[in-house]
Amino acid sequence: MGKSYFDETHCAIGHPKSTFMQWMLTVDHKRIGIMYAVVMFTFFFVAVAAALTMRFELFSPGQQYIEAQTFNQAFTLHGVIMIFMFIIPGIPAVFGNIVMPLMIGAKDVSFPRLNWFTFWLYIFGCIVALTSLFNFNISEGEVLFKFADTGWTFYAPYSLNTDTNVITTLVAGFILGMASILTGLNFLVTIHRLRAPGMEFFKMPLFVWGIYATAWIQLLATPVVGITLVLAILEKYFGIGIFDPSKGGDPVLFQHLFWIYSHPAVYLMILPAFGIMSEIIPAFSRREIFGYRTIALSSASIAGIGYLVWGHHLYTSGMSDTAKVIFSFLTFFVAIPTGIKFYDWIATMYKGKIILATPMLWALGTIITFAVGGLTGVTIAMVGADIHLQDTYYTIAHFHYAMLGGVVFLLFAGMHYWFPLVFGKMYNETHAKIAFALNFIGFNVLWFPMFIAGYMGMPRRYFDYLPEFQIYHQISFIGALIFVTGLIYMFTVLIRATKNGKPCGPNPWNATTLEWHLPSSPPPLENHTKVPYVDFRPYEYHHGQPVVKFDENMRRID
Amino acid sequence: MAHDSHDAHDSHVYVPEIAVDREGKEHVVQGWQGDYEGGKLGFWLFMLTEVMMFGAMFLALTYYYTLHQQDFLIASASLNRWLGGFNTVVLLFSALTMGLGLLKMRHGDVKGAKLMIWTTILLALVFLGVKAVEWTAEYHHGIFLGLDALQSGNEHSKPFGQILFFGMYFTMTGLHGFHIIIGIGLMLWLLKRINAQKVTPDHNILHFNIALYWDLVHLIWVFVFPYFYMIGAGDIAGGVVHGH
Amino acid sequence: MVTSYLIEKVGYYKVLIGLLLLTVVTFSLPEVVVSKYTFSAQMFIATVKAWLILMYYMHLKGEKTIGWSVLFSLLIVAFFFSIVMIDVNNFQYTDVSHITSPTK
Ligand code: HEM
Repeated sequence: MGKSYFDETHCAIGHPKSTFMQWMLTVDHKRIGIMYAVVMFTFFFVAVAAALTMRFELFSPGQQYIEAQTFNQAFTLHGVIMIFMFIIPGIPAVFGNIVMPLMIGAKDVSFPRLNWFTFWLYIFGCIVALTSLFNFNISEGEVLFKFADTGWTFYAPYSLNTDTNVITTLVAGFILGMASILTGLNFLVTIHRLRAPGMEFFKMPLFVWGIYATAWIQLLATPVVGITLVLAILEKYFGIGIFDPSKGGDPVLFQHLFWIYSHPAVYLMILPAFGIMSEIIPAFSRREIFGYRTIALSSASIAGIGYLVWGHHLYTSGMSDTAKVIFSFLTFFVAIPTGIKFYDWIATMYKGKIILATPMLWALGTIITFAVGGLTGVTIAMVGADIHLQDTYYTIAHFHYAMLGGVVFLLFAGMHYWFPLVFGKMYNETHAKIAFALNFIGFNVLWFPMFIAGYMGMPRRYFDYLPEFQIYHQISFIGALIFVTGLIYMFTVLIRATKNGKPCGPNPWNATTLEWHLPSSPPPLENHTKVPYVDFRPYEYHHGQPVVKFDENMRRID
Repeated sequence: MAHDSHDAHDSHVYVPEIAVDREGKEHVVQGWQGDYEGGKLGFWLFMLTEVMMFGAMFLALTYYYTLHQQDFLIASASLNRWLGGFNTVVLLFSALTMGLGLLKMRHGDVKGAKLMIWTTILLALVFLGVKAVEWTAEYHHGIFLGLDALQSGNEHSKPFGQILFFGMYFTMTGLHGFHIIIGIGLMLWLLKRINAQKVTPDHNILHFNIALYWDLVHLIWVFVFPYFYMIGAGDIAGGVVHGH
Repeated sequence: MVTSYLIEKVGYYKVLIGLLLLTVVTFSLPEVVVSKYTFSAQMFIATVKAWLILMYYMHLKGEKTIGWSVLFSLLIVAFFFSIVMIDVNNFQYTDVSHITSPTK
C-alpha cells in the first residue's frame, strides 16, 4: 500500500522537515479539516463546561455557586463559543473540507493556500476571543473575569454601555466571519470548477448540494453581520450615533442587521447537516434515495427563503405590524422544503434493507429530535404565540432541539460515518451505540422539561426563578449529567479507535459515492489516483448492492 | 486569493489529467492549478461580499433618511460639492487608466501596463489628498466625530438627523478611503509581481482581479457620492443651495 | 491582434465619455428638476453609471455564472431594502418614540 495523507503533504510555505510544521503549514484539505475538528471540539467542551456551570447554578432557586453577573457572562460565553467558534465553521469546515472534494473527484479545493490562510484566520479569531476573557491588573496582581455579558446577540444599546470587553468579542466575531466567508467562497468555486468530468449538478451527492447552498449563505449573509459589528465598534469608539438612541440611532436597526445574517446562519448550520442525513439514509437502507431532485432543490430553496425571514426575531422589539405579518407568513414557508426532505428520507427507508449501524442510529435519532425542534419552531413563528413565548425557555428548548438535536447530532452521525474514511480504521460499534443511547436519552431529559417550564413562563437568561420551576430544572440537570457522560464516552470510543481500531479498507459501509472509491485507506495525498468519468447517479443500488464498480484505473466495470 | 492560481510547485508544468468514459472517449479533468476562470469567479464572489457590506450600510443610511428627510437634505447641502465632484472625476479617470493598463498587459505591452498602473496610483493619491482637505475643512467647521456638534445634549448639538447623517458620512467615506488605500497596496504588490515576471501577458489573472477591485471601489463611490453630496442640492423651490 | 487592441481601447474611451456626461448631468440636474425628485433622479443616474461600469469596465457582459451570482446578490439586497423600508414607513410609535421626536 502506498503512502497516505498522514505520511506526506504539500505545504503553503517551503518544505519543512518536522511533522509538526508540516501540519501547521499544510494545504491538504483533509488535514485542514482534521485540524478544524480538533480546535472546534476543544471549544465545544469549554462551552459545555460553561453550560454545566449554569445548570449547577439553576439546580435550585436563589444564588448557589456563582454571582448573577457571572451567570450573564457564562451564557454569553456559552453562546458565543457555540455559535461563532463551533457551529458556524461546523460541518462545512470539517466535512466540507475533508469529504466534499473527494465526493466530486477533485484533488483539492480550488484555492488550497487560501484554505490554509482561512484556517489560521479562524485560529486568530479564536485567540482574539480568548483575549476578551480576562483583564489583567498587573500592579495589583488581579485577574478579572471581564467577558461580555450581553448574550451572544450583542443587542444595542446595552452592548454599547456595558464595561465588559465587548469590543474584543466583536472584533473576534468579525474575524471569524471573514474566515467563514472565505470558506464559502472557496467551496463555491470548487463546486463550480472542479467536478469530475460528466458530473452535472444533478449528479452530485446531496451532501455537496448542502455545502453548495450553505456556501451561498456564508458568502452573502456573513458580510452583513460583519459590517454590523464594525458599525457597533465604530459606535463604541467614535460615537457615530448609528445605534445609540441618545443620538437618534435606532436599536431596532441593529436587530434588523444582526438577524439579516444570524437567521440565514441557522440554515447555514442545518443545510450541510441535512446533507449528511441524505448520505447516511440511502447508504444504510441500501436503496437509491427517494426524490433526489426535490432534496437538492429544497436545499437551495431553504437557503433562498432563509434570507427572507429574519424578522421573526423582532416580533416583540417594536417592529411595525405590517412587517410582522409579512415575516410570519414567510417563515411558515421554510417548513415546506424541510418537510419535503423528511418525507423523502422516510420514503427512502420504506422497503429498504435497513442496517442499524451507529451512523444510522444517529440519523434516525435526529429525525425525532429535529422534528420536535422544527415543529416547535413553527409554533413560535406565529406572532400571537410568540409574544407569549419569546424570551422564555420554550424558545431556548426549541433551538437546542434544532441545533443540538439537529445539527450537532448529525455532525456526530457524520463523524461516525466518515471516521473509517479519514483514519482507515473502525471504532468499536457496540460501545459507540451505547454512547449514542446515553446521548439521546440524556438530551431529551435535558431539554424536554424546558419546553414545559418555558411554556409556563420561565424566562431565559435568568439566574434565579420561582420555586414552581424547580422540578423542571432538576430533571434537566440530571439530563445534562447523562448527556455529558455520553459525550465523553463517545469521544473516548472514537479517540481510542484512532490508535487501536481495526483497519477496515476503503469502503466498509458498501456506500456508493466517490469518496468510498479511493485507491487506499486512509486516502493518499492527492486523493483519487485517477479521476473517473461520472455517468451515473450518486446512490445507485440494485437488490441492496451498489451498482457502479470501478477497476483500479477508475474505469467502470459493471 | 489570486496568487493561489500559481501552483505551490511552479517548478514543473502542470499537465491536466484525462478521464476516460465507457465508450473510451477522453475528457480533460479541470485541476485547481492555473484555473483562470476559477480565479475570476472567486474574485467576483469576493466582490459580492463587498457589495453586501456596503449594501447593508446604505440600508442603514436609507433607514434614517426615511425618518429624518429634512435634516438629511440640510446636512447634505452643507458638504462641499465641488471637491466631491472633482474626486468623482479623478476616480473616473483612474478607472480608465487601470483598464487600459490591463488591456496593454494582455496585448504584450508590459512597459505600458506598468506606466498605467503608476498613473492609477497617482490618481488614487490625489483622491486621498482631496479627501484629507475636505475632512480638515469640516473639522474646522466643528463637524467631526467626537466634536460637540455630533454629540447629543449640549448647546452645539445638531438635530438627530444631522448627527446620523454626518456619522454615516464619516463612516462610509472613511471605509471607502480605506479601500482606496488597500487598492494602492495591491497595485504596488502587482508591480512587484510584474517585475518578478510572475504576472505576464499570458498569466495575468492577478492583474485582471486587481483591475476588477479598482472598478468596484469606483462603483461604490458612484453611489456614495450622490447619496451624501447631491441629495440636498435642490432646495424647496427647485433652485440650488450652495455649500460652504 | 493590433486591431482588436484598438477596438477595445476605443471602447474604454467611449465608456469614459458616457460616464463623464453622466457626471455633468449629476451636477446640472438639481438646477432643473424639482427638489422633490432630486433623490430619485440622483440614484437613477448612479444606477446607469454603475451599469456601464459593470458591463464594460468589469467585463460582466457575456459572463453567465458570474452574471447570475451578481443578479442574485442584488436581488437579496433589494429585498432587504424593501422589507426594512416597509417597516420604517409603517412605524407606528412616532408619537411615543424617543428617537423620532426627541426631548419635547
Ligand atoms: C451540553 C449541551 C448544552 C447545554 C447543557 C446547554 C445549556 C444551555 C443553557 C443552560 C443556556 C442558558 C439559557 C438561559 O438562561 O437563557 C443555553 C443558552 C444557549 N445555548 Fe446551550 N446548551 C448546550 C448545547 C448548546 C449547543 C450545541 C449550542 C449550539 C450551537 C448551544 C447554543 C446556545 C445559545 C446560542 C444560547 C443562548 C445564549 C444567550 O442567551 O445569549 N447550546 N444553553
